Amino acid sequence: MSPSSSSSGRTTAVTVTHCTVVGASDPLAAAELARACGATLEWVAELAASGILDAPAARPVQEWRFGSTELQRALEARRLQRDFDVNLDAAALILDLQQELRRLRAALALRG
Amino acid sequence: MEFKDYYSALGVEPKAGEDEIRKAYRRLARKYHPDVSQEADAEARMREVNEAWDVLGNKEKRAAYDALAERVKSGAGAASGGPGGFQPPPGWDAGFEFHRGPDGGPADHADFSEFFSSLFGAAERREAARRNFRARGEDHHAAIEVPLEFALSGGEREIQLRAMELDSQGQPEWVTRTLRVNIPRGVRPGQYIRLAGQGLPGHGGEPAGDLYLEVRIAPHPLYRVDGRDLLMTLPVTPSEAALGAEVEVPLPGGGTGAVRVPPNARPGLKLRLKERGLGGHLYLVLELALPPADSDAARAAYEQLAQATAGFDPRRQLQAGARAS
Repeated sequence: MSPSSSSSGRTTAVTVTHCTVVGASDPLAAAELARACGATLEWVAELAASGILDAPAARPVQEWRFGSTELQRALEARRLQRDFDVNLDAAALILDLQQELRRLRAALALRG
Repeated sequence: MEFKDYYSALGVEPKAGEDEIRKAYRRLARKYHPDVSQEADAEARMREVNEAWDVLGNKEKRAAYDALAERVKSGAGAASGGPGGFQPPPGWDAGFEFHRGPDGGPADHADFSEFFSSLFGAAERREAARRNFRARGEDHHAAIEVPLEFALSGGEREIQLRAMELDSQGQPEWVTRTLRVNIPRGVRPGQYIRLAGQGLPGHGGEPAGDLYLEVRIAPHPLYRVDGRDLLMTLPVTPSEAALGAEVEVPLPGGGTGAVRVPPNARPGLKLRLKERGLGGHLYLVLELALPPADSDAARAAYEQLAQATAGFDPRRQLQAGARAS
């Protein structure tokens, strides 16, 4: 193990025994999703209202649970807001188009 | 360490106004968007552009950077060790205060350059420590690319993360952390692995944030990942496809397996091998490979096939289509 640059620095090694895959068995609560995106619970609620996140609108925000797909969409939405100041409805459309583009590209790749 | 010219990274003049800089940034953010760009180094270019924007798009950082650039140009201040030997002079940012914007903090800057971190890393840390006397550390994001075989088996993987942290005297220092992560078997691209407490340190005794690793799977010469499934092209000869055959195929994760191609199989037919994917199945997509007619015997065999199947017209659809139009 060595520092990857010429400048001086400290190195530490950590063995992580506990890690989870974000998904059905270890989902993120709305507050955790917000934190992972550097955002607030209200922002997560806005994402759900705009259809970017799939969440049971009738249930309280505290009960919402999210997987990796939602985390990816939320991070992407945040990037779109930050980079282009898009409103969430436009972000929702961009994300859907992006998903479709990726699906089609993958299908195309499979056809050689 | 090189002195970075953020203005040329965005393709603007040093006297450019805020609007012009924002427009240049947005244009480049579109150009190097991973879904749009055809350029191989789009991701690296996007990082540079993001970094330049982080500084030039923020009044305080831009003013400090401009002042430093002026000192560097006049040869005063920067302790230079020849080309690429840039070191920011001590106290270079005295009198400047950096306020975190609403959308960007230390966790967003983890993949910025050493140049950026040496200028702004420490200031950001101090700012965060001051603003949030007691606050949980920020969550941190990184990507991890693993070979397909590794995703199938799971196991331990080392990743190195480098960050600017403050030591006990409040002085900035580089810390390289090596994490040994136990990757669960069957991870798929686009999934996130969460490592609790491995994000940025907390303030005032509060816990550290979490680290999220986005899983990427390195391209494989044989298999392609489609969600939970894997796909592989399986070339067969016309006789194997027509008559049916048992063929040997390599299995992801090692070993081989015997697969039965049914009689009258068509190209594009998918044969499923159960539970040989990433929580899904392995599909073999049939493709016809024609034996070359490069010997008298092969030519004779093709002629015999043509005579035996004289009633077969592969272009019947074309004629029907032409009549219909």
